[in-house]
Amino acid sequence: MKKNGGLFSILLLLMLVLVACNNTTENNWSGENTAVSDLPMEITNEGEAIKGGTLQVALVASSPFQGILLAELYEDAYDADIMTFASNSIFDVDRDFMIKDTGLARLDVDTDNNKVTVTIQGDYKWSDGTPLTADDLIYSYEIIGHPDYTGIRYDADMQNIVGMVEYHEGADSISGITKVNDKTIEIQFKKLSPAIYYGGDGLWSYAAPKHQLASIPVKNLLQSDAVRKNPVTLGAFKYDNIVNGESVRYVANEHYFKGKPKLEKVVLQVVPPTSAAEAIRAGQYDIALSYPANQYDGVKDLTNIDVLGRPELAYSYLGFKLGKYDTAQGINIMNENAKMNDPGLRKAIAYAMDIETVANRFYQGLRSRATSLIPPVFTSFYDAEFNGYTYDPQRAKQILDDAGYVDVDGDGIREDKNGQPLVIHLAAMAGSDTDEAITEYYRQNWEAVGLNVELTTGRLIEFNAFYDKLEADDPEIDMYMAAWGTGTNPSPTGLYGEEAPFNYSRYVTKELTTLLNSIDSTEAMDAEYRADAFKDWQDYMYDTAHIIPMYFRTEIIPVNKRVKNYNVSYGESTELQNIELVEEKPIK
Amino acid sequence: MWKIIVRRVLVMIPQLFVLSLIVFIMAKQMPGDPFTGLITPETDPNRIEELRQLSGFYDPWYVQYYNWMTNAFQGDFGQSYTYKVAVSNLIGERAFNTFWLAFVSTILVYVIAIPLGVLAGRYQERIMDKTIVLYSFISYAIPTFVLGLIFLFVFGYQLQWFPTSGTVSIHAERGTFEYVWSKFHHLLLPAITYAVLGTTGIIQYLRTEIIDAKMQDYVKTARSKGIPMNKVYSRHIFRNSLLPIAAFLGFTITGLLGGSIFIETIFGFPGMGQLFVSSIGSRDYSVITALVLLYGFLALLGGLLSDIIMSIVDPRIRID
Repeated sequence: MKKNGGLFSILLLLMLVLVACNNTTENNWSGENTAVSDLPMEITNEGEAIKGGTLQVALVASSPFQGILLAELYEDAYDADIMTFASNSIFDVDRDFMIKDTGLARLDVDTDNNKVTVTIQGDYKWSDGTPLTADDLIYSYEIIGHPDYTGIRYDADMQNIVGMVEYHEGADSISGITKVNDKTIEIQFKKLSPAIYYGGDGLWSYAAPKHQLASIPVKNLLQSDAVRKNPVTLGAFKYDNIVNGESVRYVANEHYFKGKPKLEKVVLQVVPPTSAAEAIRAGQYDIALSYPANQYDGVKDLTNIDVLGRPELAYSYLGFKLGKYDTAQGINIMNENAKMNDPGLRKAIAYAMDIETVANRFYQGLRSRATSLIPPVFTSFYDAEFNGYTYDPQRAKQILDDAGYVDVDGDGIREDKNGQPLVIHLAAMAGSDTDEAITEYYRQNWEAVGLNVELTTGRLIEFNAFYDKLEADDPEIDMYMAAWGTGTNPSPTGLYGEEAPFNYSRYVTKELTTLLNSIDSTEAMDAEYRADAFKDWQDYMYDTAHIIPMYFRTEIIPVNKRVKNYNVSYGESTELQNIELVEEKPIK
Repeated sequence: MWKIIVRRVLVMIPQLFVLSLIVFIMAKQMPGDPFTGLITPETDPNRIEELRQLSGFYDPWYVQYYNWMTNAFQGDFGQSYTYKVAVSNLIGERAFNTFWLAFVSTILVYVIAIPLGVLAGRYQERIMDKTIVLYSFISYAIPTFVLGLIFLFVFGYQLQWFPTSGTVSIHAERGTFEYVWSKFHHLLLPAITYAVLGTTGIIQYLRTEIIDAKMQDYVKTARSKGIPMNKVYSRHIFRNSLLPIAAFLGFTITGLLGGSIFIETIFGFPGMGQLFVSSIGSRDYSVITALVLLYGFLALLGGLLSDIIMSIVDPRIRID
C-alpha cells in the first residue's frame, strides 16, 4: 500500500517502511517556500500527570488490519503503525533518518573493507525476559534470505550481503555474517554506499526473537501465533491481547531498554474513516493514527483536542512520457522525437498550473506547492533556494511563443512547431471526490495559455489501470500525475535511474546518470559531498523539467488534551516511554 | 422429493463450473495485480517480478485455472495475497461474524415486520395502517449508509448505548460470558440498522395477503361459526398469509452470508461484504474467486431451499 495522488497515493504511502522515530531533531527548515502547514508539531497540556493510565489510540482504516506483526514479514502500513508501540528496531535515527549511537545497538562502518559491525550496547532483554543476543540479529537475515521466504525484502539490497544468494539457494548459513561474540556481529557487503548509514545497502534495522521463532519453519511463520497473536518484542510496550483485524492491547514492557514506560497500557482500535471525526469529538481516543487529511474539517475546530501536523515523506508530481522501457535489456530508452521532448513546452505547462490555489482551496492548506523532488524534511538534502515553477501564465505564454508553439489558425489553441494541431494527453488517477474538479481546474489553466489537454481514456483512471498503462508506456499518455513516498533514504536512483523500471518518464541522459551515481558513490560517504550531489541533481531536474514537483503533503494527527506532552517531529518526537496523561479519561 | 433434490444438486455442479470459469477469467482481466500496491521507491522491481513468477502469474490462464481447480476440489482455495492466510480460514472467520450479524438482523426483521404487516392489513385504511405504510416507505427510501451513520451518531456517540466499532471488546476474556455478551452488544446496533431497513418487503406482502384473505370464503365461514375475530386472524388468516414470505425464506437464509458492505464499513465490522470489496480493490484473486463461487453456490442453494420450504408449508405445491 503505497504511491501518492488519490487512492494511489494513499496506497503507496501505506507501503512505506516506517522507521520508529525516537530521535532528536529541530525543525529548522523555514522560509516561505518550504511547504509546511501552520499546524504545530508539538503540544503541551497543563496538569499533573496521573499514575499509569491507558492511552487510547485510534487507527483510522476502512478495513481490518492484517496483523502480521514481524518487521521481516509485514507489508502493510497499518501493521507498521501497530508495531511502532512494540518495535523490534535496534537503531535510533536522527532528524535526517541517519543511524545514531543511542539505540539498542551501535553501527560501525568500515568503508575500506565494505564491512559493518553491529554491537548490542548492553544487557538488554526481550519482553519475555530472554536476553537479546547476536543470534537474534542474525536470525532476521536468515528469515529474509530463507528459500521459503515469500516477502518483498529479499531484494537487490539484501543480495549485497556476501553469501546471501548462496544461502537463499540452500547453503546452511550466510557466509558474510559472522558472530563475533554474544553481542556483536560483523557483516561483509559486496559494496557500500552512503545508504548504509540510513539502514540501506542490505543492513537490517531490526532483531527477530530467535528463541521464539526458531522452532517454526519459515514457511509457516506467517500463520504462526508468534507473529499474529503473541509476538515477543523489544519495544516500549508488549502485546497483551490482539483481536484479529480490530484491536490491540499493549502493556508496559518492564524490560524496555530505555526504562519502563510511564503509561500502564495502550489500547489501539481500528476506527472507520466515516466516523473517525465523531469518535475523536466524543473523546473516545487520545491519538488518531492515519487520520485522513480530507476529513480535516471534522476535527479542526474541536476544543477537546489539538491537531498536530507533520510533513509527509512524499511528493506529488507531474511527469512527461519521453521514451520506453526496454524489458529485454532492462534499461529506459529515451525517444528524442517524443511529443513532449521540448523543455520549453514542459516548463510552460508547469508555469501555467495554479498549484497554490488548488493546495489552499481543495486541500485546505494540508498540501503546498512542492519546490523540489526532495521533501523539506530532509534538511541536509533539500535545496531551500528553489521556488519551483511558481504560477505565472504570462511567462508560460512567453515560453511557448519562444519555443515555436503558436496559434496558427486563430482558435485560441496553439499548434505545434510544425503548425499541426497539438493535443496533449494527461493520465490522472481517480481517488477522492475532488480529483475530478482539480484535474478540470488544471485543464482550464492550460487552456488559458493556449494548450489543449485531454484526459487519457477521457476520464480519470482507476489506480491499478493507471499504473498498468504507465508501466506499459501506453502511447495515449503524454503526461501523468502521480506521487511517490520517499521512504527515509531519499536516494533517487531507483526512481529516475537509467535501469529503473519506476522511471516512468523514461528520461535518460548521460549527465543525469552521472549526477545520480555521484549521490550514491563512495565519495558521498562524506555528508557534505552527498548534500552537494543532491543539490546538483535537484538543479538538473529543475532545468530539464521532465518531472514537475506538484505538492508536498502534511499529515495530521489529532491529539486529545489529556496527553501531557506530544511531539511528532521527526527526530524529536516524544519517546513512547515518556508519554503521560493528565486525566483519567480522554476529554470530551 | 429426495430424487428432485438430488437432481437439483447435480445440476448445480455444471452451473458452478461455468461460473468459476467466468469469474476466474474476468478476475485475471482486471488491470493490475496483487503486487502493484506493494511498490515504493524502496521496493526492488526484480523482487516483485520474482514474486509474480513464484505465484504463477505468468502461466497461461488455463494452467492457472487447472491448478486452482484441482486444489479447490481438495478444499484448498489458496492463500490470500493480502492477508497471507489460507483463503478458507479468512473467509471462515469473516463468515462467522457476518453470519451472526445477519442472523440477529433477520430475527429482528421478522419481529418488526410481521406484527406491523398484520396490523396494517387488519386495520386497512385506518390511521394505524397509514402510519405503518408511511414508515415502510421511508425505510425503503433511506440509503443504508445514511441511517447507519445517524444511528451510530445518536446511539453510539451521543447516548453511548452501543460500542461504535469492531466485533468484541479488547478487554473481554475469551470463553467468558462477558465475551459472548460483548460480541452480542457489538452486533446489536448494526443489526438494528439492518432490520429497520429490511422490513418493507415483508410488511407490504403480509398486508396485501391479509387484505385479500379477509374477503375469502373460509374467513366468512369461520366468522359465521362464531369464532372470535382475534382467533380468525391468528388461526386462519395469518397462516395463509405467511405463504409468500415463506417463499423467500430460502434466499433469506443463504443471503445471510452475503454481508453488507455499507453496514460493515460504517460500523467497522469485519465481515464478508467488506472482504469482497477490499479484495477486488487489492486484486486478491484467490479471495475474489472463492467468494464469487461461494455466493453463486449460496444463490443456487437458496432457490432450492425456498422450493423445499414451500412444499412443506403448502402441501398443494409439489416441486417436480
